[in-house]
Amino acid sequence: MNILLVALGGGIGASCRYLLGAWVKSRLKQRSIPTAMLMVNILGSLFLGLFFGWVYQEVPQMVYDDLPFLVFAVGFCGAFTTFSTFSVEAVTLLQKQKKRKFITYVGLSIGGAMIAFLIGMFLGSQVMKFI
Amino acid sequence: MQKHGWVVLSVFLGGSLGTLLRYLINMQTTALLFPVGTIIENIIGSLLLGTLTGWTLVKVIVPVLKEGIGVGFCGGFTTMSTLAADAVVLGGTDSMGSLATYLLISLFGGMFVAAIGLMIGQYLANRSVKKESREWS
Repeated sequence: MNILLVALGGGIGASCRYLLGAWVKSRLKQRSIPTAMLMVNILGSLFLGLFFGWVYQEVPQMVYDDLPFLVFAVGFCGAFTTFSTFSVEAVTLLQKQKKRKFITYVGLSIGGAMIAFLIGMFLGSQVMKFI
Repeated sequence: MQKHGWVVLSVFLGGSLGTLLRYLINMQTTALLFPVGTIIENIIGSLLLGTLTGWTLVKVIVPVLKEGIGVGFCGGFTTMSTLAADAVVLGGTDSMGSLATYLLISLFGGMFVAAIGLMIGQYLANRSVKKESREWS
Protein backbone atom coordinates (compact mmCIF):
# COMPACT_ATOMS: atom_id res chain seq x y z
CA MET A 1 0.00 0.00 0.00
CA ASN A 2 2.73 2.44 1.05
CA ILE A 3 4.63 1.62 -2.09
CA LEU A 4 1.69 2.58 -4.32
CA LEU A 5 1.19 5.90 -2.54
CA VAL A 6 4.89 6.79 -2.83
CA ALA A 7 4.67 6.03 -6.55
CA LEU A 8 1.50 8.13 -6.87
CA GLY A 9 3.13 11.10 -5.11
CA GLY A 10 6.16 10.73 -7.37
CA GLY A 11 4.07 10.49 -10.53
CA ILE A 12 2.16 13.65 -9.63
CA GLY A 13 5.40 15.46 -8.69
CA ALA A 14 7.10 14.54 -11.97
CA SER A 15 4.02 15.52 -14.03
CA CYS A 16 3.78 18.89 -12.25
CA ARG A 17 7.49 19.48 -12.96
CA TYR A 18 6.96 18.70 -16.64
CA LEU A 19 3.90 20.94 -16.97
CA LEU A 20 5.40 23.83 -14.99
CA GLY A 21 8.67 23.50 -16.92
CA ALA A 22 6.83 23.59 -20.26
CA TRP A 23 4.82 26.61 -19.12
CA VAL A 24 7.88 28.55 -17.91
CA LYS A 25 9.76 27.77 -21.13
CA SER A 26 6.84 29.02 -23.23
CA ARG A 27 6.74 32.30 -21.28
CA LEU A 28 10.43 33.10 -20.99
CA LYS A 29 12.23 33.05 -24.29
CA GLN A 30 15.89 31.99 -24.42
CA ARG A 31 17.31 32.61 -20.98
CA SER A 32 21.02 32.63 -20.34
CA ILE A 33 20.70 29.97 -17.64
CA PRO A 34 18.18 27.09 -17.47
CA THR A 35 15.55 29.02 -15.50
CA ALA A 36 12.74 26.46 -15.52
CA MET A 37 14.54 23.74 -13.57
CA LEU A 38 16.11 26.32 -11.27
CA MET A 39 12.63 27.53 -10.32
CA VAL A 40 11.28 24.00 -9.91
CA ASN A 41 14.14 22.95 -7.63
CA ILE A 42 13.90 26.05 -5.44
CA LEU A 43 10.10 25.81 -5.25
CA GLY A 44 10.20 22.09 -4.41
CA SER A 45 12.78 22.65 -1.66
CA LEU A 46 10.58 25.41 -0.23
CA PHE A 47 7.60 22.99 -0.20
CA LEU A 48 9.66 20.33 1.57
CA GLY A 49 10.83 22.86 4.18
CA LEU A 50 7.26 24.08 4.76
CA PHE A 51 6.09 20.50 5.20
CA PHE A 52 8.87 19.55 7.62
CA GLY A 53 8.50 22.75 9.63
CA TRP A 54 4.74 22.46 9.82
CA VAL A 55 4.40 18.74 10.59
CA TYR A 56 7.63 17.89 12.44
CA GLN A 57 9.19 21.25 13.47
CA GLU A 58 12.52 19.68 12.44
CA VAL A 59 14.07 17.58 9.69
CA PRO A 60 12.64 14.15 10.54
CA GLN A 61 14.93 11.14 10.71
CA MET A 62 13.92 7.50 10.58
CA VAL A 63 10.31 8.13 9.60
CA TYR A 64 10.07 5.67 6.75
CA ASP A 65 6.86 4.25 8.21
CA ASP A 66 5.13 7.64 8.30
CA LEU A 67 2.66 7.87 5.41
CA PRO A 68 2.49 11.70 4.93
CA PHE A 69 6.31 11.74 4.87
CA LEU A 70 6.40 9.03 2.23
CA VAL A 71 3.74 10.54 -0.01
CA PHE A 72 4.70 14.21 0.17
CA ALA A 73 8.42 14.32 1.06
CA VAL A 74 9.76 11.21 -0.70
CA GLY A 75 7.04 11.11 -3.36
CA PHE A 76 5.87 14.54 -4.43
CA CYS A 77 8.78 16.84 -3.43
CA GLY A 78 11.39 14.21 -4.31
CA ALA A 79 10.06 13.79 -7.83
CA PHE A 80 9.02 17.42 -8.36
CA THR A 81 12.64 18.45 -7.88
CA THR A 82 15.42 16.89 -9.91
CA PHE A 83 19.16 16.51 -9.84
CA SER A 84 19.81 14.72 -13.14
CA THR A 85 18.63 17.64 -15.29
CA PHE A 86 20.71 19.96 -13.12
CA SER A 87 23.88 17.88 -13.70
CA VAL A 88 23.38 17.65 -17.45
CA GLU A 89 22.58 21.36 -17.81
CA ALA A 90 25.54 22.37 -15.62
CA VAL A 91 27.93 20.21 -17.64
CA THR A 92 26.52 21.56 -20.91
CA LEU A 93 27.19 25.15 -19.74
CA LEU A 94 30.75 24.13 -18.81
CA GLN A 95 31.35 22.44 -22.17
CA LYS A 96 30.18 25.60 -23.94
CA GLN A 97 32.85 27.49 -21.94
CA LYS A 98 30.22 29.60 -20.23
CA LYS A 99 32.03 29.66 -16.91
CA ARG A 100 30.21 32.59 -15.37
CA LYS A 101 26.78 31.22 -16.19
CA PHE A 102 27.93 27.85 -14.92
CA ILE A 103 28.95 29.26 -11.53
CA THR A 104 25.72 31.31 -11.31
CA TYR A 105 23.58 28.29 -12.18
CA VAL A 106 25.31 25.90 -9.78
CA GLY A 107 25.40 28.45 -6.96
CA LEU A 108 21.76 29.47 -7.38
CA SER A 109 20.61 25.85 -7.65
CA ILE A 110 22.37 24.46 -4.57
CA GLY A 111 22.42 27.61 -2.44
CA GLY A 112 18.91 28.56 -3.53
CA ALA A 113 17.52 25.12 -2.71
CA MET A 114 19.14 25.14 0.75
CA ILE A 115 17.99 28.68 1.58
CA ALA A 116 14.47 28.01 0.25
CA PHE A 117 14.34 24.88 2.39
CA LEU A 118 15.41 26.81 5.51
CA ILE A 119 12.89 29.61 4.84
CA GLY A 120 10.22 26.94 4.37
CA MET A 121 11.16 25.27 7.66
CA PHE A 122 10.93 28.59 9.48
CA LEU A 123 7.58 29.60 7.94
CA GLY A 124 6.17 26.10 8.40
CA SER A 125 7.07 26.01 12.08
CA GLN A 126 5.40 29.42 12.56
CA VAL A 127 2.12 28.06 11.19
CA MET A 128 1.76 25.83 14.27
CA LYS A 129 1.80 28.86 16.55
CA PHE A 130 -1.28 30.34 14.88
CA ILE A 131 -3.39 27.21 14.96
CA MET B 1 -3.11 18.43 -27.34
CA GLN B 2 -3.83 14.72 -27.38
CA LYS B 3 -0.16 14.08 -28.08
CA HIS B 4 0.68 16.26 -25.07
CA GLY B 5 -1.59 14.08 -22.94
CA TRP B 6 0.36 10.94 -23.83
CA VAL B 7 3.62 12.65 -22.93
CA VAL B 8 2.24 13.73 -19.54
CA LEU B 9 1.09 10.15 -18.93
CA SER B 10 4.53 8.76 -19.78
CA VAL B 11 6.15 11.37 -17.49
CA PHE B 12 3.73 10.29 -14.75
CA LEU B 13 4.57 6.60 -15.20
CA GLY B 14 8.32 7.21 -15.47
CA GLY B 15 8.20 9.49 -12.43
CA SER B 16 6.31 6.88 -10.41
CA LEU B 17 8.83 4.19 -11.29
CA GLY B 18 11.83 6.42 -10.56
CA THR B 19 10.36 7.49 -7.22
CA LEU B 20 9.65 3.88 -6.28
CA LEU B 21 13.24 2.88 -6.97
CA ARG B 22 14.53 5.87 -4.99
CA TYR B 23 12.28 4.86 -2.09
CA LEU B 24 13.59 1.27 -2.18
CA ILE B 25 17.24 2.42 -2.19
CA ASN B 26 16.54 4.88 0.65
CA MET B 27 15.00 2.07 2.70
CA GLN B 28 18.28 0.15 2.44
CA THR B 29 20.48 3.08 3.42
CA THR B 30 18.36 4.86 6.02
CA ALA B 31 20.36 3.42 8.93
CA LEU B 32 23.56 5.06 7.70
CA LEU B 33 24.51 8.45 9.13
CA PHE B 34 25.66 9.86 5.80
CA PRO B 35 23.00 10.30 3.05
CA VAL B 36 24.52 7.64 0.80
CA GLY B 37 21.19 6.75 -0.80
CA THR B 38 20.63 10.22 -2.26
CA ILE B 39 24.22 10.30 -3.58
CA ILE B 40 23.76 6.93 -5.34
CA GLU B 41 20.42 7.97 -6.85
CA ASN B 42 21.60 11.38 -8.02
CA ILE B 43 24.74 9.98 -9.61
CA ILE B 44 23.10 7.02 -11.39
CA GLY B 45 20.24 9.27 -12.59
CA SER B 46 22.72 11.86 -13.93
CA LEU B 47 24.60 9.14 -15.86
CA LEU B 48 21.36 7.85 -17.38
CA LEU B 49 20.06 11.30 -18.34
CA GLY B 50 23.48 12.23 -19.76
CA THR B 51 23.43 9.11 -21.94
CA LEU B 52 19.87 9.81 -23.12
CA THR B 53 20.71 13.46 -23.87
CA GLY B 54 23.85 12.42 -25.77
CA TRP B 55 21.82 9.98 -27.85
CA THR B 56 19.20 12.63 -28.71
CA LEU B 57 21.96 14.99 -29.90
CA VAL B 58 22.52 12.50 -32.75
CA LYS B 59 19.24 10.64 -33.20
CA VAL B 60 15.60 11.51 -32.75
CA ILE B 61 13.55 9.66 -30.14
CA VAL B 62 9.75 9.89 -29.97
CA PRO B 63 8.72 12.42 -27.26
CA VAL B 64 6.72 9.84 -25.28
CA LEU B 65 9.88 7.79 -24.74
CA LYS B 66 12.31 10.70 -24.42
CA GLU B 67 10.28 12.63 -21.83
CA GLY B 68 9.08 9.45 -20.11
CA ILE B 69 12.64 8.30 -19.43
CA GLY B 70 14.32 11.70 -19.10
CA VAL B 71 11.83 14.00 -17.36
CA GLY B 72 9.87 11.15 -15.78
CA PHE B 73 12.18 8.37 -14.70
CA CYS B 74 15.52 10.23 -14.31
CA GLY B 75 13.79 13.27 -12.82
CA GLY B 76 11.78 11.19 -10.37
CA PHE B 77 14.72 8.99 -9.43
CA THR B 78 16.98 11.96 -8.61
CA THR B 79 16.08 14.75 -6.21
CA MET B 80 17.17 18.21 -5.17
CA SER B 81 14.77 18.78 -2.26
CA THR B 82 16.13 15.83 -0.26
CA LEU B 83 19.65 17.00 -1.07
CA ALA B 84 18.80 20.44 0.37
CA ALA B 85 17.34 18.84 3.52
CA ASP B 86 20.33 16.47 3.88
CA ALA B 87 22.73 19.38 3.44
CA VAL B 88 20.96 21.46 6.09
CA VAL B 89 21.08 18.54 8.55
CA LEU B 90 24.77 17.88 7.88
CA GLY B 91 25.60 21.58 8.18
CA GLY B 92 23.66 21.90 11.42
CA THR B 93 24.75 18.84 13.37
CA ASP B 94 28.16 17.82 12.06
CA SER B 95 31.34 19.61 11.30
CA MET B 96 31.33 21.61 8.07
CA GLY B 97 33.56 18.90 6.63
CA SER B 98 30.73 16.43 6.12
CA LEU B 99 28.55 19.11 4.51
CA ALA B 100 31.35 20.03 2.10
CA THR B 101 32.04 16.35 1.37
CA TYR B 102 28.38 15.69 0.63
CA LEU B 103 27.98 18.67 -1.69
CA LEU B 104 31.27 18.07 -3.51
CA ILE B 105 30.57 14.35 -4.10
CA SER B 106 27.03 15.11 -5.30
CA LEU B 107 28.05 18.02 -7.53
CA PHE B 108 31.24 16.77 -9.09
CA GLY B 109 30.09 13.15 -9.13
CA GLY B 110 26.85 14.09 -10.87
CA MET B 111 28.51 16.38 -13.40
CA PHE B 112 31.35 13.95 -14.10
CA VAL B 113 29.03 11.04 -14.88
CA ALA B 114 26.69 13.34 -16.84
CA ALA B 115 29.66 14.27 -19.06
CA ILE B 116 30.59 10.59 -19.47
CA GLY B 117 26.96 9.78 -20.24
CA LEU B 118 26.84 12.48 -22.94
CA MET B 119 29.86 10.86 -24.61
CA ILE B 120 28.51 7.30 -24.30
CA GLY B 121 25.11 8.36 -25.69
CA GLN B 122 26.63 10.13 -28.69
CA TYR B 123 28.97 7.21 -29.36
CA LEU B 124 26.16 4.65 -29.26
CA ALA B 125 23.88 6.79 -31.45
CA ASN B 126 26.65 7.38 -34.00
CA ARG B 127 27.37 3.67 -34.13
CA SER B 128 23.69 2.97 -34.66
CA VAL B 129 23.54 5.55 -37.49
CA LYS B 130 26.56 3.95 -39.22
CA LYS B 131 25.04 0.52 -38.89
CA GLU B 132 21.81 1.73 -40.45
CA SER B 133 23.57 3.42 -43.36
CA ARG B 134 25.55 0.24 -44.00
CA GLU B 135 22.35 -1.75 -44.11
CA TRP B 136 20.88 0.68 -46.63
CA SER B 137 23.83 0.74 -49.00
